[in-house]
Amino acid sequence: MFAQVVVGGVAAGCVYGLVALSFVLIYKATRSVSFMQGELLMLGAFTAVVLVEALGWPAWVAAVAAVAASFAFGLVLERAVLWRAIGQPHLTPVLLTFGLGLVIRGAVTSVPEATHRMHRLPLPWSRPLTVGPVQFAPEHLMVILATCTACAVLALFFRHSRTGLALRACSEDSGVAAMLGVSPAAMHALAWALGAALAAFAGVLLAPVTFVEPGMGMVALKAFPAAVIGGLASLPGALLGGLFIGLSEALAGRFLPDGVKDLTAYGLMLAVLLLFPRGIGEIGRRQ
Amino acid sequence: MIQYVALAAAFALSALVGGVDNAFAQAAFVGTLALAGLGLVLIVGLSGQLSLGHGAMMGLGAYAQAGLVGMGIDGLPALAAAATVGALGGLVASIPGRRLGDLGFAMSTLALALVVEEGLLRLAPLTGGAAGLVVPPLTVAGWRLASPVAQAVASLTLLGAALWLVGRLRNSRLGRAWRAGRDDEVAAAAVGIDVRHARLLAFVCGGALAGLAGGLHAHWLGFLSPEQFGLPLSFELLVLVFVGGVRSLSGALWGSIVIVSLPQAIAMLRQALPGFELGAAGLELVAFGLIVVALVIWRPGGLRPEGR
Repeated sequence: MFAQVVVGGVAAGCVYGLVALSFVLIYKATRSVSFMQGELLMLGAFTAVVLVEALGWPAWVAAVAAVAASFAFGLVLERAVLWRAIGQPHLTPVLLTFGLGLVIRGAVTSVPEATHRMHRLPLPWSRPLTVGPVQFAPEHLMVILATCTACAVLALFFRHSRTGLALRACSEDSGVAAMLGVSPAAMHALAWALGAALAAFAGVLLAPVTFVEPGMGMVALKAFPAAVIGGLASLPGALLGGLFIGLSEALAGRFLPDGVKDLTAYGLMLAVLLLFPRGIGEIGRRQ
Repeated sequence: MIQYVALAAAFALSALVGGVDNAFAQAAFVGTLALAGLGLVLIVGLSGQLSLGHGAMMGLGAYAQAGLVGMGIDGLPALAAAATVGALGGLVASIPGRRLGDLGFAMSTLALALVVEEGLLRLAPLTGGAAGLVVPPLTVAGWRLASPVAQAVASLTLLGAALWLVGRLRNSRLGRAWRAGRDDEVAAAAVGIDVRHARLLAFVCGGALAGLAGGLHAHWLGFLSPEQFGLPLSFELLVLVFVGGVRSLSGALWGSIVIVSLPQAIAMLRQALPGFELGAAGLELVAFGLIVVALVIWRPGGLRPEGR
């Protein structure tokens, strides 16, 4: 029983962590706070559902296509609208992404088929994994496995590819990076596109776990506590912060009275801001 | 002069569309939202910090007012208490954020806003929870403000007083400290300004105005439920401030008129267009979102050119 609670918490934490990762990636590279990651997550999940239900694609092909489409969508949004936030105060990107999020959510809501019926992405395999007396839900294991794979790919990209290194250099100091031949404008676009793709990836992973509906983007609000716990500027920190939030919520839901679960993430966020404003990683570095 | 003509025209248009009583009721809402927006101008425009939880401060004030009036306390002392509760909310929201520059306040106000919304839902014995809470009309010293005209007068009078007060505050020692800290934090600190302390006070003053606005708003609404004071309200207030010009005090009034009338204009437009029955709520969201994006892109300084 305890093991199942932990695995469920880790799976939820993976989704929080992925959204937090997309948020921190965008924030580091563009200095913009994005409030549309939840809507991008929802759009990614719907894209996958449409490809499976209407075109009959296999679920994993639809998932890859949805992430790729979200990448392209992020690129288009950046070229059309979001580049104007460069060098502006925080309020500008906050309002731009809030407005774009409303447009996305409204557009999906106005499709009758999206709201009249519950949708769910089918899993390629559905047998629970049995270890001794405990059974683990296949969708939870799938989320954890896919997150690990995505993190490995991202780590390789950021450490060993020229583009990934250029993006990191640009996040650290865009002026110096530009002098070394990196195009800050291209990196700005790439950061938004990657952020959109990551959010869609989280949405696709969530699609077999919860129902796909226009309001499912609310889950992205948990990404803010995750990012704050990770220190707001660290990619691995965001992911670990997400896992921490997911686990705490699962344990609070299991062992604490009703209703505490929903406040856990935000309470932790306030506590971390108060005690360790640079993230929990600060604890280790203090000595 | 042209501003007063515009105000009169907006009122006349509203009266023409929905009747005189409706126009006064809308004016009452314009007054309270402008009051809350004025608090946000203090935080965003004058001290240069981002608050994502201003709607929650309004919610704190509204629920405090409803609770106190429910206990039989007169409207005026209850309003003072609502403002105090809002100020306390601003203080609590800003304390965790002050050590982390840049996004710190945005994150801590966001966290407090989400905690407040959940808390209002969970404390059902006090707040009615999701079922909501009925608020009686405002009573000041035995005088019931039940008619829309009286509500509009009360709302706009308080707004006028607050505009005058904040105008004085802007040019006071504290107001100059806010603006100095906003324009150059290091230089401000070098001449002996305690920038952190000044920012804390900006959140306290802004929260007080939001609490006061929430207290009045509760009476105009007549019915409270937690989701009315969630993140969407906080963002609407940010749009309000942006539309009026973030640094302009009177801009809060103009932004408020836009925020109150825009959803109604969109709804009317939709009814005028035939064949848009399906997914109507979604299309209204799309229209509102597009207008927000268009405003930010084409009028980055707000609707009025460079407000004072």
